[in-house]
Amino acid sequence: MPKYIAVLLDDSRLQKLEGSGLEKKIEKMFGGALNAFNLEVSDEHTTKILEEFTTARIDSRGAITDVPIAFNRVVFEEIAKKKSLGPEVMEGVLARMAEIKEAAAKESEYLPAPDIEV
Amino acid sequence: MSIRIERPEPHGGRLIDRVVTDPAAGKKLAKGAAVFDIKPTLDENGVPVRNVYREIMSTCYGFFSPVEGSMKQAEVERILKERRLLNDWVFPYPLVFDVSEEDHKKLGVTPGDRVLLRLKGKPFAILDVEEIYRIDQEELAHKTFGTPEANPEVVKEAFNKKHPGWVIYKSLNPVIYAGKYKIINEPKLRPPFDRFWFPPKKCREEFDKRGWRTVIVHQTRNVPHVGHEHLMKNAAYTGDTEPCHGILVNAVIGVKRKGDYPDEAIVEGHEAVNLYGYIKPERHMVTILLWDMRYGNPLESLLHGIVRQNMGCTHHMFGRDHAAVGEYYDMYATQILWGKGVPSFGFDKPVNEVPYGLKIRPQNMAEFWYCPKCGEIAYSGSCNHKERQKFSGSFIRGMVSEGIFPPGVIFRPEVYKVAVKWWKVYGYPFVTPKYLMEREKELEVDLPDMDI
Repeated sequence: MPKYIAVLLDDSRLQKLEGSGLEKKIEKMFGGALNAFNLEVSDEHTTKILEEFTTARIDSRGAITDVPIAFNRVVFEEIAKKKSLGPEVMEGVLARMAEIKEAAAKESEYLPAPDIEV
Repeated sequence: MSIRIERPEPHGGRLIDRVVTDPAAGKKLAKGAAVFDIKPTLDENGVPVRNVYREIMSTCYGFFSPVEGSMKQAEVERILKERRLLNDWVFPYPLVFDVSEEDHKKLGVTPGDRVLLRLKGKPFAILDVEEIYRIDQEELAHKTFGTPEANPEVVKEAFNKKHPGWVIYKSLNPVIYAGKYKIINEPKLRPPFDRFWFPPKKCREEFDKRGWRTVIVHQTRNVPHVGHEHLMKNAAYTGDTEPCHGILVNAVIGVKRKGDYPDEAIVEGHEAVNLYGYIKPERHMVTILLWDMRYGNPLESLLHGIVRQNMGCTHHMFGRDHAAVGEYYDMYATQILWGKGVPSFGFDKPVNEVPYGLKIRPQNMAEFWYCPKCGEIAYSGSCNHKERQKFSGSFIRGMVSEGIFPPGVIFRPEVYKVAVKWWKVYGYPFVTPKYLMEREKELEVDLPDMDI
């Protein structure tokens, strides 16, 4: 059964999608409090993702999670570039694996905290 | 017959108290003992996976009553076979003081000797050695958690080095000193842990002060999201003639797996739930247990039941995948253990119905999710709508990592800010090997000077 990746959409990402025609595919989650795409991932691509990232796993909802942040960022970039939620998105992501892994190596010990007052 | 539920006795009948509070008496006990500096247990990459000091603290302050020290070989074997101590009381895990062959040779200790255990370079505890034996670490690791062949009711996959609890047992040193511990130089808990330190005796006194007869406990190794909050609030409707008087959060503090939240964020995150009024502070109390989690799902739930019964709780909430990692156990293994028993672990009945079993009552809970149709957080046993948005921990971790401010329906803003506060301190929102190594240097305690 295909799995999926939840691609969260904040205001800046929503701006980048304007006019792409993808707006109507936005899922409203948690009573409209959160916007996201559910990007379907084939079994073949799922296997590849799990092989590439030791932390990656499939959670109780059938979602692929615990992937590097760099991976999530590239997934969104490919969606915006291809203006699609089709299998070509994941093909484009996997083609950029070397770039993702290089960025992921840097984020394994440090992630900048959000600039909010605590 | 009264239907009022009273506070249960400690497991084993009495609280163990092996802490010498008078420094002069402590010094006297340590005089002439062989000296050993406690070292962390490291995995194959040199990352700390356990520090035995946490077991010594939890034993001596009575959390693990009736356990009094490092277990003898016969006791370890009985636990692996029947999950019982030599005095028949139910207990899930072998707890041992391990040293390397090299250290054993240097110490030259034999049964009957006393060892002074130093922590952070200062006297901490003594161990009166009654027996010395050796273990096969891999065999111990397998037998501790069970196998699909030997425990088919609940074990689904063979344990391996991806399981943090298995790695703890696999990484032990081969020589075991069995005997009772005694803390001779009382440590001081460091902030922020100090304000959450309620050993069983003090915890029971606190319940008396608050007038709490019935108390339900929430086990945690998480910064609480709103699903956790609803679990606590709803599970607390149980009780006897009225809902439970108190909700006790007992956070496990110690080495955790990569990707869990830092301990400081966990305790302060839960505290924020009551500080900002989501559950009244008069009804909600945050405490800690020093323990390097074994992630043993049903077995971990047994330990949790024992600890929290010792703390004076009447009820324990258990959810799906309790204290679990991966898919080694059935996701409802804990509920099976408490609901009907696991014969291959030695329990043909629920663990609070067997002789020398537990007295705390399980509150087995299913799931909470957000239901768009109900327009609220719904309980899986009640809501019959198809669309459900689950509070997946990894989904939330992903959102946090991406720096997206979570909506209030997922994280209370004050709780999220606590997570960000500690993210700023450690440069990462979750546990990393670097965090574990930094924490290992400081631990959760400081010790007063003591010349011996």
